[in-house]
Amino acid sequence: MTTVPALALRGLTKRFGSTLAVDRVDLDIPAGSFYGVVGPNGAGKTTTLSMATGLLEPDAGSVAVLGVDLWAAPEVAKPLLGVLPDGLHTFDRLTGAELISYAGRLRGLDRDTVRARRDDLLAALDLEDAGSVLVMDYSAGMTKKVGLACALVHAPRVLVLDEPFEAVDPVSAGAIRRILAAFVESGGTVVMSSHVMALVERLCDHVAVVGAGRVLDAGPLGDVRGGGDLEERFVALVGDVRDQRDLTWLRQS
Amino acid sequence: MVATVVGIRLRTTRHLLRRDWWRAVVLALGLLWGLAMLPTLLIAQAALAGQDAGIRADALVALCSVLCVGWATVPLVVAGLDDTLEPARFRSLGVPARTIMPGLVAAAFLTLPALFFALLMVILGASWRGEGAAVLLVALAGLGLMLASMVMGARVSAAWAARLLSSRRAKLATVAAMVVGLAAIAPVALALFRDGLTSVLAEDVEILLSRLADSPLGAGAAAPRAAAEGDWLGAAWRLALQAGWALALLAVWHENVARSLVAPLGRGGGARRHHDRVLDPTRTPATPRDPAAGAVHARLARAWTSDPRYLASLAGVLLLPAFFFALVMPVFDLDRRWAYVVPLMLAATIGWGRHNDVAFDSTGLWLDVVSGRLGRAVMGGRLAAAAGWALPLVLAAAVGTVVWTGRWHDAPGLLGACVGVLGVSLAVAAVSAVLLPYRAPAPGASPFGAEVGAVGAGLAAQLASSLVALGLVPFVVVPFVLSLTLAPAWGWLACVAGLVAGIGAYVGALRLAGMLYDRRSGRLLAAVA
Repeated sequence: MTTVPALALRGLTKRFGSTLAVDRVDLDIPAGSFYGVVGPNGAGKTTTLSMATGLLEPDAGSVAVLGVDLWAAPEVAKPLLGVLPDGLHTFDRLTGAELISYAGRLRGLDRDTVRARRDDLLAALDLEDAGSVLVMDYSAGMTKKVGLACALVHAPRVLVLDEPFEAVDPVSAGAIRRILAAFVESGGTVVMSSHVMALVERLCDHVAVVGAGRVLDAGPLGDVRGGGDLEERFVALVGDVRDQRDLTWLRQS
Repeated sequence: MVATVVGIRLRTTRHLLRRDWWRAVVLALGLLWGLAMLPTLLIAQAALAGQDAGIRADALVALCSVLCVGWATVPLVVAGLDDTLEPARFRSLGVPARTIMPGLVAAAFLTLPALFFALLMVILGASWRGEGAAVLLVALAGLGLMLASMVMGARVSAAWAARLLSSRRAKLATVAAMVVGLAAIAPVALALFRDGLTSVLAEDVEILLSRLADSPLGAGAAAPRAAAEGDWLGAAWRLALQAGWALALLAVWHENVARSLVAPLGRGGGARRHHDRVLDPTRTPATPRDPAAGAVHARLARAWTSDPRYLASLAGVLLLPAFFFALVMPVFDLDRRWAYVVPLMLAATIGWGRHNDVAFDSTGLWLDVVSGRLGRAVMGGRLAAAAGWALPLVLAAAVGTVVWTGRWHDAPGLLGACVGVLGVSLAVAAVSAVLLPYRAPAPGASPFGAEVGAVGAGLAAQLASSLVALGLVPFVVVPFVLSLTLAPAWGWLACVAGLVAGIGAYVGALRLAGMLYDRRSGRLLAAVA
């Protein structure tokens, strides 16, 4: 394992009007790790990952991908990254196959490589049937899968995935897990955000807990969760729902 | 329910005004303009009141007919229908159309334009007060029904157009609409060109007005005249016709709302495409060779043929030149050489129309941004996709005009000037699209809708890009104008200058916009999504 981190975030800060969405985040993601980022809704996970992948300009701070400054030398850093954002659509008038080709051609791959990889990805993600259907007719899970294919097509060294398993059925989720595990096995790095603690515990070897725009705890999974499980640690870090109000009117009897 | 729905609208407006101060400025300017129009309206009322009933009715019928057509077409050309109350937004609430309809109707009448036109109708309607209370009552009722027809006509036309464009027969529908539009103004234009304005005014307008007075475009405005002449039956059936028309529009709108509550717009209908057009594009001279630029070009070529938002702007650019040729030229009895304005105008509107190009991809832009430093390729692909159809269209229009004027020695100058204007205006638009993007209708949304209060949303961008384009275009056109007025020899200079300026601006803009795109890539997504 190299000593240069796959992703190194230093003092990342982003303010939207009066809200400080991300507050001086420092985070080292070791190369070759399967890194989980967890945090409550509105904690700044998506904003942080957007800044770490070149989608959103930070107000302050720096991002280095395998030692290359992303915002200073994007032409060197961006090819190392594969990105799947959350909540953003794709070009919906292309078919699934065309969308993967599009991502491949944007990355400068030649036609034959793109053609072969496109067919591999469609088969691996169980999208062969849907390859000729417009993406606008895809379900949420299928859109996720084709987005993942676009992130993989240029064989990046670091994958940054925002909620990759959301809305994906168990069979496809299994396929995605196998692809990602094999990717890490071969020396790649995966960073993913998720709300599902069990999934993070099962897949990831490192984890960071984010809350209110800051990193509350980060490190190897065993260190972060201590003796208990991740969910307990998570709740302890971010705090429970403040007002435990019973919705008595919702009771059925 | 009416109060709830109207409340949503007012509250969204208030929140928006609090968030963006300039929206309040735009709103205030609108109000100010409305108030500034008051004296004019009162003078018009006094003038109308001084005329006899026939002329007064004719004027109001003509005005109402123009307004009806305007209300139905303007939202299609400039995206401006407030989408706060887009029926699709109520989809997840599970309310039937019957429940929200009264609220939607009330809200439609509570917009600034609707209120202004209501005031206009009341003021102008009061010009009938000299004929007695009963006639005044008929006038106000008739004009009120006219206003209802206008407001609901706008909703129906936008809903229908959006539905048409989102269907798979979108292309056909666009072409058909343009043909029908041209066919509708062709006889008028022909008559004007043949007989000149004065004789048309003397003969045909009278017939036209009397026809309009018996149609839903003017019956409401013509009713008080019948009443003033003691023809109460005539007044009654005109009012009934206008009311029936308004009710019919309401029913159609209701049907559209009910439909959009259950059937989302903008699905592909399960269409399958077996050829990967991104990997193996259809080769045209406009296809860029660079792989990334080629991919962007292929994607936009698909958008220009199937995305309702692009199709709508495609149809929109033809309107102004067609209007100039068919109506302005004959009405002002202009020399045939003025027809050269048509291809030049077409080139300028097409170019300027792309000033918010990048924002149309709001939701997919991330893929271009994360894929590297690709500004040149992205802008190159985008420009090539627009120029790929714009250049042949503009050149065809130019050749067509020369055929019409029969002055072939003007051809080189005109062609050069057209290329120049298209290149320069596309260049300005490309830079503006990167520097000053504003929110465009999202993919799958109605192409005629706009973000709440968007009348001013892109105001800065629209103003800046049009001013720059207006400042640059004359330089390209001057040699051509000289060739018409001074000496034909200028024509060849105009040809060379136009080609150089057009191609130079295109290439320069590609580089500049590409560089800006790279520099601003971290801000673009936040600006448009």
